[in-house]
Amino acid sequence: MTDFLSELETLDAIPRLTQFRLTAFIEARIVVPLRADTGPVFRRIDLARIELLCDLAEEFELDEDALSVVMSLLDQLHTVRRDLRAIAAAVAAESPEVRARIGAALLDEG
Amino acid sequence: MDDPYVTLGLAKTATAEEIKKAYRKLIKASHPDLNPDDAGAEARFKAISAAHDLLKDSATRARFDAGEIDATGAERPDRRYYRDYAEAPGNAYQRGGGFEAAGDPADIFAEMLRQRGRSGARGYGSPYGDEGFSAAGQDFHYTLEVPFLDAVRGAKTRITLPEGGDLEVQIPTGSSDGRTLRLRGKGGAGLGGGHAGDAYVTLTVRPHRLFRREGDDVLIELPITLDEAVLGGKVAVPTIDGAVNLSIPKGVSSGRVLRLRGRGVKRPGAEAGDQLVELRIVLPPTVDEKLSDFLQDWRKTNRHDPRKDMFEGVAT
Repeated sequence: MTDFLSELETLDAIPRLTQFRLTAFIEARIVVPLRADTGPVFRRIDLARIELLCDLAEEFELDEDALSVVMSLLDQLHTVRRDLRAIAAAVAAESPEVRARIGAALLDEG
Repeated sequence: MDDPYVTLGLAKTATAEEIKKAYRKLIKASHPDLNPDDAGAEARFKAISAAHDLLKDSATRARFDAGEIDATGAERPDRRYYRDYAEAPGNAYQRGGGFEAAGDPADIFAEMLRQRGRSGARGYGSPYGDEGFSAAGQDFHYTLEVPFLDAVRGAKTRITLPEGGDLEVQIPTGSSDGRTLRLRGKGGAGLGGGHAGDAYVTLTVRPHRLFRREGDDVLIELPITLDEAVLGGKVAVPTIDGAVNLSIPKGVSSGRVLRLRGRGVKRPGAEAGDQLVELRIVLPPTVDEKLSDFLQDWRKTNRHDPRKDMFEGVAT
């Protein structure tokens, strides 16, 4: 079954995360928990994201606005990486001639 | 572990401010989430963090300097990094929903550009910026618990929204646990003519009393009587699409698995799964005299030992 943690369980799992900070993350929509009948629930990806946010908030003293900008850029980076990987996989499935042509075109671009 | 001063590139005399500065500089280059392509980042980040943990607190640092604790005192538990999840399918934080069903590469690129256009202004795409003229609406995320049969057969259902109102959700046939559906344009309203956001609905499938699912096959346990097991016969079996007659061969044992071809999950575009029926022989609640008398008699002339092989190589 899918792993979902309640707000309390999330606070338990990340000791340095305070209720205050979590609320601020959610209000700034940098963390978007799922909505269940019982209240917000957090996935594993949310926990990893919160850990990263804690790192950035503590070590670089970023506030929610700065975190929003950083996370927005990071999310865009990951989306592009995923799309690029999908294209690379599609190219890899092509015949050697097609791959050679694409490779030559990329070299020209560079 | 190495000397934390060496790890952070500091002299023993470094001030707290210098430690912080050095640490900040190093994690910029070594935090796995800020350097997603760097395979060595995680190991470096761990070492740097451990060194910093030891030195950031002046009391711990003094104890380390005095030799009371060693450098391993600051090991951190393993942690999963955001980059491990970031490209996984269904990551709700991704911008744009990836490639939609489109065969022609030209369509795929058109779709990418369309997403880029809708996620904000002039290619910079940040809804956090101050572009001021149009912005796509906010994406909403929901969970939905779905009964097993609705998930395998597909169904229409409605979810009640926390902010009021409800939303119709079409659950596709053969949905599995954890699947995220994207309802385009069902999120928050856009600003200044921007597109509405999307709603993402993550499904949790509620287990069924009888059916279990393994890939596209559906598993069920079927109780049969002693006479059915010995003589064979036709019995009705529940499947996800209703009752189906199943022929029980003569002389079957408990644990025998029969296959109902094509009676499993039928995902569009995939071959239908099967239903696997595991037989379980169930005796009547009371064994009457006739049956026990017969078996007493039968036993005298039939010496079949199903446990014969079990004791090979085992001390008895």
